[in-house]
Amino acid sequence: MKLSSKLTLFIAGSKLVTVLLFILVLPYLVKEIANQHTNFTLRQQQKKVMAIVHKNGLDDYLQGESSYGSYTLLKEEFIAFSPSAANVQIDTIKDSQRLIEGDTLNYRILSATFKYADKNYLLEIGKNTSISQYHKPLQRFALYGLITLIAMTMLIDLIFIRIIIQPLSSIIKTKLVNNDFPFRAEQLPVPTSTSDFKYLDDSLRLLMTQINDAFYKEREFTSNASHELMTPITILQNKMENLLDEEGLSDESAIAIVEMMKTVDRLKKITSSLLLISRIENEQYIRKEHVIPLQLFEEIIEEIKHRLEDKNISIKLNIAGDMEFQHVNRDLIYQLFFNLIHNAIKFNRQDGQITITGVTTADGCFQVQVSDTGIGIPKEDLPFIFNRFTKTNLSSQVGYGLGLAIVKSIAAYHAIKIAVESDIGEGTTFTLIFKFKTK
Amino acid sequence: MKVLIVEDEKTLAYEMEEFLKKNFYHCDLAHSFDHGVQQLALNQYDFILIDLGLPDGDGLGILKNAKKNNPDAAYIIITARTNLKDRISGLDLGADDYLAKPFYLLELHSRMQAIARRKFNITESLIELGEFGVDIQKRIVSFKDEQIELSRKEFDLLSYLLLHKGRVLTRIQLSEHIWGTFVNDDYDSNYIDAHIKNIRRKLNAFAATDWLETVRGVGYRIKK
Repeated sequence: MKLSSKLTLFIAGSKLVTVLLFILVLPYLVKEIANQHTNFTLRQQQKKVMAIVHKNGLDDYLQGESSYGSYTLLKEEFIAFSPSAANVQIDTIKDSQRLIEGDTLNYRILSATFKYADKNYLLEIGKNTSISQYHKPLQRFALYGLITLIAMTMLIDLIFIRIIIQPLSSIIKTKLVNNDFPFRAEQLPVPTSTSDFKYLDDSLRLLMTQINDAFYKEREFTSNASHELMTPITILQNKMENLLDEEGLSDESAIAIVEMMKTVDRLKKITSSLLLISRIENEQYIRKEHVIPLQLFEEIIEEIKHRLEDKNISIKLNIAGDMEFQHVNRDLIYQLFFNLIHNAIKFNRQDGQITITGVTTADGCFQVQVSDTGIGIPKEDLPFIFNRFTKTNLSSQVGYGLGLAIVKSIAAYHAIKIAVESDIGEGTTFTLIFKFKTK
Repeated sequence: MKVLIVEDEKTLAYEMEEFLKKNFYHCDLAHSFDHGVQQLALNQYDFILIDLGLPDGDGLGILKNAKKNNPDAAYIIITARTNLKDRISGLDLGADDYLAKPFYLLELHSRMQAIARRKFNITESLIELGEFGVDIQKRIVSFKDEQIELSRKEFDLLSYLLLHKGRVLTRIQLSEHIWGTFVNDDYDSNYIDAHIKNIRRKLNAFAATDWLETVRGVGYRIKK
């Protein structure tokens, strides 16, 4: 899951929980606020009443009676005086029910005792709470307000998260996902004011530079090493040639020299193979020739005929004469197919077959398949056959393990996709897909 | 013929000198750019072999320089850089051939012979071989007046042996000449035997070929 989605979900979730909690406590809150308000009003009224009592005397209310009671028209409020026991002291505000003219009503009642003319009286002021006319609209209003507020903050959060996270996605996009190795251009820093991202970006850029450096150093080393080996190999080779030509050389010595020459030849071929690979990787070949594959294959077959005849292998060419590879290096493409066909012979059985098929695929790319009826490659070896110095089919005891490494680097240089399928004892098929369109 | 070898690797220069002397060339050696330029100013040469990777200058510079003084000489560039760009500029500057290290001295020699034939108009291309005649230019083998069909590779093999008449050529040397220094990861040298067998079979139908000798464990030779 993407970080931004996770953050969004988390924020939405936490807001939802808050809202639910608030909705649950809302009635209680509203009631509490209403009570506070009622209490305040009751106290105000008590003060007023007591002020009147002090000013005009209690008789103003009692009018000679022993108690007094009065309520408003809709029984919303009432006020009452009554005598109380001498030793009772009360000053409370409570909810309770009163029976007025046959109606039982809920009141919030302020009860307070006071002394007047050496007698104890109880003052009660009541306010009806059963008609809580404010509660419902208040709750609804609060709810709507809350939802609007939450929606607004969520929107702001989303936008903000997106803005904050944006550098991270561009780091991922430019540094990790859409990047071919070796990293080509100078890596540009992603603009961000978030120090964590800046740190991440800097570290990644540093790592990429280091990897690139190491990669190029290794490449350079291979190139230099094989290059430097060429002169000593030439010297050895030429010395042996001169030695072999010496007068009075015994047969044994001559044979020994020839054996040494074979070893030097092996060294030479390994070194030139490595050099070839590093030259391809360093892009020292020009890709602007056009090659007719049919002609190329015929040429290779002519060159390699002696090997085909040796094993009595027949070769079939299913390829149209007007097919054309464009923008390639002819020598390299030759080398690529030479190596593949060479392997197809090397690992083939006596009287075997090789089939070369060239077709245009549905999406207009050119596809060449080289199939043999050879010994096949074990499944577990398939991922490694293109590595340098990897020799499968060790029983055959031939080759230096560089043939397919060369094939791979030439294919990569020409953006040719290469795939291999193999069945033990049945044969191997190499499939090459040329990215460019055929004519 | 006079040869100047411009090569900073002394051991290699000596080996080349030894080989060429045996083949009746006169050799001068130069181990640096300056030395090479100096030699070229003083002497006239028929062949100039130039290593491109000199410590004190680019061999291509020598080539440019030498062309003024020795315009008729044949130039062969020797280098470990088989860079296409180098090759093109070398040939543009008038080099006659280009030899990549590592090379066999035999190969160098046959290249020199080929250039000599072309450049100095040596037209003795018809060579007598027992009762056979071989025309290296026209690539024809004949018995009396009758032409004998040899495949391209078979002819290459025969003419290479003929060019180095009297010398034993190893299978590696022969296969490198025929199939090139093409990077190819195992020996083709065993196939030389098959070709020799074919050549013998085709020629024996006309006359004996005991001039073509097998040297056990080493290779083949055409007797002098």
